[in-house]
Amino acid sequence: MTKEISIELANDFKELIRLNSILEEYCSLNQFPSKILFALNLSLEEVITNVISYGYEDEKEHLINVRIRSVDNWLEIEVEDDGKPFNPLEKEDPDVDAPIEERQIGGLGIYLVRNYMDDLAYKRNGGKNLLFMKKLLS
Amino acid sequence: MNILENKNGNIVILAPQGRLDITNSGDLEKKLLSLIDIGEKQFILDFRNLIYISSNGLRALLVGAKRLKGEGGTIVLCSMAEQIKEVFDCAGFSSIFKIYSTDTEALEAF
Repeated sequence: MTKEISIELANDFKELIRLNSILEEYCSLNQFPSKILFALNLSLEEVITNVISYGYEDEKEHLINVRIRSVDNWLEIEVEDDGKPFNPLEKEDPDVDAPIEERQIGGLGIYLVRNYMDDLAYKRNGGKNLLFMKKLLS
Repeated sequence: MNILENKNGNIVILAPQGRLDITNSGDLEKKLLSLIDIGEKQFILDFRNLIYISSNGLRALLVGAKRLKGEGGTIVLCSMAEQIKEVFDCAGFSSIFKIYSTDTEALEAF
């Protein structure tokens, strides 16, 4: 059993492919059901896509740290980045009942994270964004 | 990404394979838009071999559907795995796209 993993990602979308295989291995070793793997993959892709797309104003390489651990019946996920301050909890929900003409392109990512995770918390600390997510394992 | 392409009458059937995420959803968007550019209007997106979709994948579909709306065309979807359907339901995409259980049912809908 690997209860806890820590992953360091560069601010490059291709890193999400590497992250996906690490998540697959972690979930398989811990015998988590496929819906947990799906929720993890989705939430981390949405959060990290946002960080890489909007977090940085320079062209330098930045590191994004992801830590995942299972505690009792919970999966705890932490994402830390040194991008500009961004609290995803303050983002307004998109209108998911609007007709197609009024649907906004984008803006759905954080909404999905809110629905796929059971708890979210955000903290800005020492020039870094820290997002905590919790998912009930069963 | 690998996207299988077929045609049945005037209906284009696209079957993306594997994962539709930030790294490859642009491929599907480009594929859809280039087919619309050459005059195609009716599409079935067959998701039988799709195992994952994020908001980036949904975005590609919405871009295509919005373009088609102005040109009298449409995209319908079929053969979706349960976990993909859940993303559609959550994002409210099940109400803007017609979703069929099989490709046969989707073809009959035209």
